[in-house]
Amino acid sequence: MAKNLHTDNAPSISTVKPHFLFAAIGFLVLGILMVLSSQHFFGIYYDHHLLAITHTAVLGWLMMLIFGSLYQLIPVIFDAALYSEKLAKFTFWLTAFSIIFLVYTFWIGDYTILLPYAATFMYLSLFFFIFNIMMSYKNARIKNFKSLFILAAVFWLLMAETEGLLTALNFKYHFYSASHLSHLHTHAIMGLVGFFVMMIFGVGTTLIPMFLISHRLNDKLLKISFYLLNSGLAGLVLTKYFLDYFYLELIFWLVIMSGVFYYFRYINESYKHRMKKTLDVGMKYTMLALVFLSAPIIISLLLIFLSDTGLKQYGEIIILLFGLSMIFGFFTTIALGQTYKTLPFIIWLEKYQKLVGKYHTPLPRELYSEKVAGIQFYFYMSFLLLTLFALIFQLPVLMQVATVLFLIVTILYNYNVWLMFFHNSDKYIKERENEILSEKKS
Amino acid sequence: MKKDIKEIRKVENDIYELLKTVMDPEIELDIINLGLVYNILYDGENNVRIEMTLSTPACPLGDAITDNVKNTIKKKYPDFNVDVDVVFDPPWDASMISEEGRQKLGM
Repeated sequence: MAKNLHTDNAPSISTVKPHFLFAAIGFLVLGILMVLSSQHFFGIYYDHHLLAITHTAVLGWLMMLIFGSLYQLIPVIFDAALYSEKLAKFTFWLTAFSIIFLVYTFWIGDYTILLPYAATFMYLSLFFFIFNIMMSYKNARIKNFKSLFILAAVFWLLMAETEGLLTALNFKYHFYSASHLSHLHTHAIMGLVGFFVMMIFGVGTTLIPMFLISHRLNDKLLKISFYLLNSGLAGLVLTKYFLDYFYLELIFWLVIMSGVFYYFRYINESYKHRMKKTLDVGMKYTMLALVFLSAPIIISLLLIFLSDTGLKQYGEIIILLFGLSMIFGFFTTIALGQTYKTLPFIIWLEKYQKLVGKYHTPLPRELYSEKVAGIQFYFYMSFLLLTLFALIFQLPVLMQVATVLFLIVTILYNYNVWLMFFHNSDKYIKERENEILSEKKS
Repeated sequence: MKKDIKEIRKVENDIYELLKTVMDPEIELDIINLGLVYNILYDGENNVRIEMTLSTPACPLGDAITDNVKNTIKKKYPDFNVDVDVVFDPPWDASMISEEGRQKLGM
């Protein structure tokens, strides 16, 4: 047995796999909800249908994907096993139930009777996840800035969730008088920037150089990025709570943006020094997602300036654009790409690890259809473009078309995910052996 | 009976050629051309030790690659005890890729 391998700590496939399945189904449900609600994109951004869509996207699709990927990557990033696989399995079922409950509650717009219960279940689910990650970090043999990104992300998740729970409870118990909208803003900032961006950056620092095969990168850039992102975020949240002062908010946004800039420099260095010159479909998505991250940055600056001028009527649409560019432009693009990088390997390891060398085995990328992944890529880019035009020029028909394109993307994605899950290794090996035999005969 | 040095070298060369069929599934290049194999040591009886590295210590495919090395050797030499020793000193870098490997990767 080879020694010192991170794979010694890898979790069992039964812990990881259900998350990818739930995420794929969540993505399909998201596509259906988008088609059903395309007209709501032209109303208020906190419309309950849009809140249902947002929570399907961030929890049912992205969060589940992050749970699954992180459980798989903890041995790589922390050089330690996941603290408890039993807890991870229990958390999966609780999270799955909580997400369905919460999305249903938003969809029917029940804020007073069901929402407090749904939010409490969601809070508990995320709390168990956070606990499992923190305890795993306690046993970590690698404690560097890559693992600190993960730790900071789960801290911001806890903060975002606490804010979300308090807001939900306040609908029923009215224990504070501040506007629900301002709490919704801090909940969104801590969740989207604090958790998702931080987590994607943290995981990306390991995965992107690993997939591009680039070595000896400048960790100092990561260190600066980490401090800028977290101090900017803390400053922004505190300002929103206690001061609500425009120029201070602007300064902290700029600090966050400088953090993103330093992270870009780190990734750019990895990209320049990469050994793999041709990018596969997974890495194309990933690199494009990082470019797309500039959209919410520009939009957020625009939003700050508009809030200080008389052009507040544009605020609604810009907030919506900010959320959409973050969720679809950045998060979903990178999630689509990383699924094609991680899931084939997880399934391949499950089906072929014991067979390699004994039989002819496929490459991980041969477990899904690259053609379908390519078509999906163009549909997704068209969806992003049409959505942007539809919202800027307020064209509901175009939005309807965009959501149909998105639904097609979710169907193509599900096709490939199910193709991997139902891959029959016995059948593949038998067919391959027969092919080789007939080649030899001829 | 222990083989002589000429026969030992012959077996080592044969194993070297066999390992050219072991692929790194991510990079899609064999481990010999990638420069991951540092040493092949055959004792002249039935013990062989492969000293090799991985493209990154964090490589999640580490077990799959080392299993592949063992299975590939044992397929041809079923009586051999194959010991795969994964080392990270010296750490692997792109300069270890062979000229053939560079061409295959389009570097």
